Amino acid sequence: MTPSPLDGPADGLAAASALRAMADRLEDAEVERAMRAGWSWSQVAEALGVTRQAVHKKHLRRLLMAQIELRRRNGESAF
Amino acid sequence: MANRLFSAPRLAPLLVSWEIASHVGLQFEIEAKRDGAKFIEAEHMLLALAADPDSDAARLLTESGLDHQRLASALHEEHRRTLAFAGMTAPNNGLVEATELESSLSLGTSAKVAVRRALIASRQDRPRRPRLRSTDLLFGILQAELGTVARALAIAGIDRAALMSRARGSE
Repeated sequence: MTPSPLDGPADGLAAASALRAMADRLEDAEVERAMRAGWSWSQVAEALGVTRQAVHKKHLRRLLMAQIELRRRNGESAF
Repeated sequence: MANRLFSAPRLAPLLVSWEIASHVGLQFEIEAKRDGAKFIEAEHMLLALAADPDSDAARLLTESGLDHQRLASALHEEHRRTLAFAGMTAPNNGLVEATELESSLSLGTSAKVAVRRALIASRQDRPRRPRLRSTDLLFGILQAELGTVARALAIAGIDRAALMSRARGSE
């Protein structure tokens, strides 16, 4: 039996997948916004509830591409 | 002629990364980026096929009442309905806009599965000349009974199985 692609679990599973994608996009946008506002990596990590290393690894490349001035841990400009 | 998008060997890298460069291939990525997606998924491939007026896949889609605009509307409605299930509405795009990486997008799982199915069909149908055609890819995409494409087609009232048969039967 092939379940319907609409209704029941299909709607719920699709929602789980869509929310995950939306959460990823939201994180990208908000990390970028925070860094533009001068937040440090540690502050962003704390707000997200993850490690500084995790945020760095996930977002550094994109933030460099966005030409955002990034702060080092002691508050000085990193670039 | 327009139906032969790429030769099968060139498509092999698609299973792990996005490397081919054809106008349809580029369109996959354009559709994915327009959607704000991080990967190229089956729905982006379907939109790209529909956007190429010269392809046999687009002709079949149009004959079924699915031009690019209607397909995009169906996918939009699918997204709205999906989020509504979780009590949400799609946020304003301006609120969740992040800088995009300039690198090429990779294929997501649904796209990889569609390509794999398309390759299998092309080899079964034309073992001596297994060049992948746009209709093979359409067939591969339509084979998914569940997921975003199947949901959008159901919402649009399209008979996915009938369209799939036409894609497989076309020469």
